[in-house]
Amino acid sequence: MNKKENVIKTMLNSVLPIVLAFFIGGLIILGIGENPLATYGLLIRKSLFTAKGFLNTLHYAAPLILTGLAIAITFKANIYNMGVEGQMMFGGFFAGIVGAYLPNMNSIVQKMICFIVAMGCGMLFAFIPALLKAKCNVNEMVVTLMLNYAMVKALEFLTTGVFRDKEAGYVATPTIKDGAMFQRFGTSRITMFFVIVVFVLIIMAIIMNKSKLGYEVKTIGKNAEFAEATGMNVGKKIVLIMLISGALSGMAGAGWMMSDQFKFTLSFSGNPGLGWDGMLIALLGGHSPIGILVAAIFYAALKTGSDSINLYTTVPKEIVSIIQGMIILFLAVKFIGEHTNWFERRKKKEEESWS
Amino acid sequence: MELIGNILYDTIYHSAPIILCVIGGIFAYKANVLNIALEGMMLNGAFVSVLVTYLTGSVTVAILAAIVTTLLFGLVFSCLGITCKGNVIVIGLGINLIVPAIADFVLKRMEIANISLQNVSVADFKLHIPLVENIPLIGKILSGHPIITYFAFIGILFFTVLMYKTKFGIYIRVVGENEDSAISLGIKTERYKYAAVLIGAFCCALAGINLSMERMAMFTNNMTAGRGFIAIAAIYCGQGNPVASALYAILFGVARALSINLSVYAGPVSGLFDIIPYIIMVTVLAVVSYTKYKNVKVRGFKLD
Repeated sequence: MNKKENVIKTMLNSVLPIVLAFFIGGLIILGIGENPLATYGLLIRKSLFTAKGFLNTLHYAAPLILTGLAIAITFKANIYNMGVEGQMMFGGFFAGIVGAYLPNMNSIVQKMICFIVAMGCGMLFAFIPALLKAKCNVNEMVVTLMLNYAMVKALEFLTTGVFRDKEAGYVATPTIKDGAMFQRFGTSRITMFFVIVVFVLIIMAIIMNKSKLGYEVKTIGKNAEFAEATGMNVGKKIVLIMLISGALSGMAGAGWMMSDQFKFTLSFSGNPGLGWDGMLIALLGGHSPIGILVAAIFYAALKTGSDSINLYTTVPKEIVSIIQGMIILFLAVKFIGEHTNWFERRKKKEEESWS
Repeated sequence: MELIGNILYDTIYHSAPIILCVIGGIFAYKANVLNIALEGMMLNGAFVSVLVTYLTGSVTVAILAAIVTTLLFGLVFSCLGITCKGNVIVIGLGINLIVPAIADFVLKRMEIANISLQNVSVADFKLHIPLVENIPLIGKILSGHPIITYFAFIGILFFTVLMYKTKFGIYIRVVGENEDSAISLGIKTERYKYAAVLIGAFCCALAGINLSMERMAMFTNNMTAGRGFIAIAAIYCGQGNPVASALYAILFGVARALSINLSVYAGPVSGLFDIIPYIIMVTVLAVVSYTKYKNVKVRGFKLD
């Protein structure tokens, strides 16, 4: 099998679920008496085909790229870190607190401190399940899911109680200082944060594809026992992988806080949450950095586009969440496996007919 | 005394849906299909039962509809995961995302924030056991629960028998423990896996109905609040034994009952009480896994 064929297959495996999900979504839209094609047109026209809209889409894609990377690196090692959402919220929250209470200083230093605090928080929160996994072989998926709920409740308590901004009319933490905010480029929402994200993406691409660690991650994912037998300390590596994942998630939270939200509200991460979106993006992008970039932009376009659906049609914008769920559902199944092989079969037939 | 009585009553009340999820999920766990869609299936049961009651006014139709639609989700899950051999964790996540999205979609379309049933009163569902009711103290705690709550506790016994004393249960466990030998015995493994997932879906539907219609006669989105995941944690803690796993589910019920009843005295800190159940579960899980793992002397690392 040649490499080109493999690439086509991976692409098809990512595109088919999308097509299928949009088809079923279209049926639902038809069912409530609207035109699916017009709705989908609205969905992507503004967010992808106008300059300002596209830059906005890139802005929304930035945190998604980071959470996607955070999930991809753990999934590649066959570890199910479902705590990205919690790690992201934890990081975002404390980036917001530090950004709001720290005295004014050099704005770059201020941002650096916010990022470091957030990454530290994310790593701390990822460290618990990682340690349990490495030392006691506790199922990390269950632990991270549980801790997510605990984290959401704890942050709810902190936001409504300890750190509540009394002057705001609703439940929120104080707004971060100007020095900690990323300034917008021109009229669109895009900020310096996106540039940083692209930089991180490149670093992660190098780590995942070219470094020893990347190779180890792949080996652990393929066969952990084999990895251990060849002399890798799998437990230690798992902790390291989870820490990287936690740092990326924390960074996503901090960036989202400093470039878009500026204060922590109870709907900070939106619905279904940047961490969960990250999971879809990691799956859609086939856990490869370039795939994640494309998938994040595609998904951010859907997200920004869903608002114009709400404005111009009677279709509730929740249709996008339904489509998202279906994409995940269909992505789980490899429609074209490594062994289904139309191309070769056809080639063989051709050869047979020739001979 | 009143307080302790309340706490015990609430313990039974809050344990029931989780127990149902646990005993449903155990079959899938034993058949080696990790069903993390319990959460979504339970929410579907809760949503459809209330929605259909709201639209038709008939409770029977609603319960049937809830069970049938949840079984459909079970079929989708097993079709993609077992027949097409997809990644069951990802499929489970997909279902967990789709169900609340559908509920949101329908609620937005109907232009209401949540459905509350006017024509159904919660008191109708409560079962008062004639003799037990009159015993002081215990009567108040054991009697006056919705019907499905009793089902949940009877279910523990029923499913234990089904799992350990019947051919069906043994086959399911064989399929999970060693699929190759099951195939060599001529067992239709796929069929047993389907059955395991569908039993789980059925129990989750009941849990959902219990949660929304029987207890509150209303539906708000995401009202399951992670109970499905707690059930999964309980299954892991009890290592798939129905009685042990159900006990862990009850532990969560205790924690929840404590947090609700004590919040009256605690004031604003009460928000933190909700964290306790999750922390307890993580701790229990860690301890259980540690004691199991401690005795393994072979060097090696196995991801499960």
